[in-house]
Amino acid sequence: MNDAADRGTWRLIAARDFWVRLRERSFLISTLLNVGVISVLVLVRASGGFGGPPSFDLGVVGGPDVLAVANAAASLGHDGGVSVRVRPYPDRAAADAALRDGSVDAVVTATELYGLESVDGRLQALVQTSAHQAAVDAVFAKHHVPEAQREAASKTDPLQLGALQPAPPDRQSDAGVAFIGVLLLYGQLFGYGLWVATGVIEEKASRIVEMLLSAVRPRQLLAGKIIGIGVLGLAQLITIAGFAIVLALATHAQTVPSTAIWTALLVIGWFILGYAFYASLFAAAGSLVSRMEELQNVIVPINLTILVSFIISIGSLQDPNSTLAIVASILPVSSALAMPVRIVLGAASGWQIALSLALLIGSAVALVPVGARLYAGAVLRTGSRVKLRDAWRAT
Amino acid sequence: MLELVDLYRRFGDVVALDGVSFSVGEGRIVGFVGRNGAGKTTAMRIALGVLQADDGTVRWRGVPVDTAARRRFGYMPEERGLYPKMRVLEQLVYLARLRGVAKTQARANAEELLETLEVVGDPGARVESLSLGNQQRVQLAAALVHRPELLVLDEPFAGLDPVGVDVLSGVLRRAAREGAAVVFSSHQLELVERLCDAVVLIDRGRIAAQGTITELRESRARNLWRVRLRDVTSSWWEVIPGVTPVQRDDGVIVLELASSTDPQRLLDVARAAGDVLSFGSVQPSLQELFREVVS
Repeated sequence: MNDAADRGTWRLIAARDFWVRLRERSFLISTLLNVGVISVLVLVRASGGFGGPPSFDLGVVGGPDVLAVANAAASLGHDGGVSVRVRPYPDRAAADAALRDGSVDAVVTATELYGLESVDGRLQALVQTSAHQAAVDAVFAKHHVPEAQREAASKTDPLQLGALQPAPPDRQSDAGVAFIGVLLLYGQLFGYGLWVATGVIEEKASRIVEMLLSAVRPRQLLAGKIIGIGVLGLAQLITIAGFAIVLALATHAQTVPSTAIWTALLVIGWFILGYAFYASLFAAAGSLVSRMEELQNVIVPINLTILVSFIISIGSLQDPNSTLAIVASILPVSSALAMPVRIVLGAASGWQIALSLALLIGSAVALVPVGARLYAGAVLRTGSRVKLRDAWRAT
Repeated sequence: MLELVDLYRRFGDVVALDGVSFSVGEGRIVGFVGRNGAGKTTAMRIALGVLQADDGTVRWRGVPVDTAARRRFGYMPEERGLYPKMRVLEQLVYLARLRGVAKTQARANAEELLETLEVVGDPGARVESLSLGNQQRVQLAAALVHRPELLVLDEPFAGLDPVGVDVLSGVLRRAAREGAAVVFSSHQLELVERLCDAVVLIDRGRIAAQGTITELRESRARNLWRVRLRDVTSSWWEVIPGVTPVQRDDGVIVLELASSTDPQRLLDVARAAGDVLSFGSVQPSLQELFREVVS
């Protein structure tokens, strides 16, 4: 019965919260659901559903001139890393049918380039350039321009391409991985935060909390619960991430294992930080009410914060350097979801990551005593919802 | 010995405890009696450290109570509560371990208690699947499973059937015999009278009376004597100064004597007046003392 034994009681509490929930049906269901969703995403990716190099099927209607333009576009595309497959059709009706059933992405004729609803900009550029070159060649041929001059005319040096902040070459592919990561992170942060809140209410509603508080201090009870549930969330996350990596490598959805593993590590790391930040808020919110039905009312602000952070982080998959994406990745209320995306995409600079980490860790540490104080002040009050101010003043 | 010393506690504008002091010795059973809202639960919660006092101290064996001491206390709150989905034995072992009991010892204690308290059913069953009476016994087991040195029970007899009352009374007596200090609150005053060595009576946040039942009677009760005479209707007692009739019923009369009046003289006068069928002092029940104190 010394202080050391007393300090260890949070471990007992954490162990109970861990094992009790591990055996719950909802844990099994959420694990299977996560594995299912991840599998679908990885398999869609493996079949080239998103990410990967762009590829088009181009229908051709017309004589050898048109076919030549199409082939020129294909070879131009090949040089630029865009795959264009040329499919000749005997007439326009056949080509249109192919367009409608999705066999081709666009059709080119002697006078037109058209798609079902529109034509992808990259394909447009390739075909238009080739058609223009063919027209120029035709004019040269008509005027019997010597071969050497023709070559000189078409061999104008193209403009040098450059970028102030060059995006990593694999960004498109990385965005797919980051999407899966942020989806998983969102589910874990929200799901396990909610579990903390319901765990608090469960003890309050069943009135066992008074028994518990006669044996342990509120802070230990809260710490044990948050750690027990968090470790379970972490274990589930590691399991799912491991499964996703193995599946991705097995199906060749991801050929660069380092990106997948790096993303998984980032997601796991930011889960720990984000969970530390949100969990004490969820616990404090849960302690304000006495019945599960009232939970929704008190966690709306936390829910909205996490949801908005999730939406911003999905947006930053497209534009990781927008002002919104940068600000969201630094503020601690949203950085747990918004920053890892920018890191995976190679858009976050060193100082941004350092600042974001410092703010998130600092505020998580600062929030624990705040959450614990609200919790201690409210957890023994049953009946109507406890006002934040009363909970704060009660201790 | 548990000592509550000068406890004050307010909830907003309501003064729940207004200088409460009392003590519970080891090996003793103390009944804590008072009307609803008198401050019983607040005082108990403060003793257990579940609630903080605004002022005053709680001492155990002469030392202000700390967490280590509190872990050796057993508590049965008025608001009963267990994890409904947790298994009975597992839950008792968990609660004992929270209070620092080693795993194997906790299990042995829990198994023994389930037997002593005659909890019917599978120790591996979920608490919510037990009958209400059995759940209540498990609740009591939860308060006892770590073999506490001090046992604080808030309305432990509420809702128990007569058999349950006997089982619980036996358990409390045994705990006291084994050296524990026991204090419980109850509205069942005959039970308190039968079971307790001492009573603490709280009214509106203040201790109105405390002591053994005999002490309470002596300090509080009026000096009443009941006399029964055959066929006498006269006011025969009027010859003695300091005697007032309190109640008159057929041949029985209850008289209050001033402290200076000798009951033997009353008897002599009564015998002179007629045949005395019965003569004795009136012992008020705890119920009557309680009414007198809180009115």
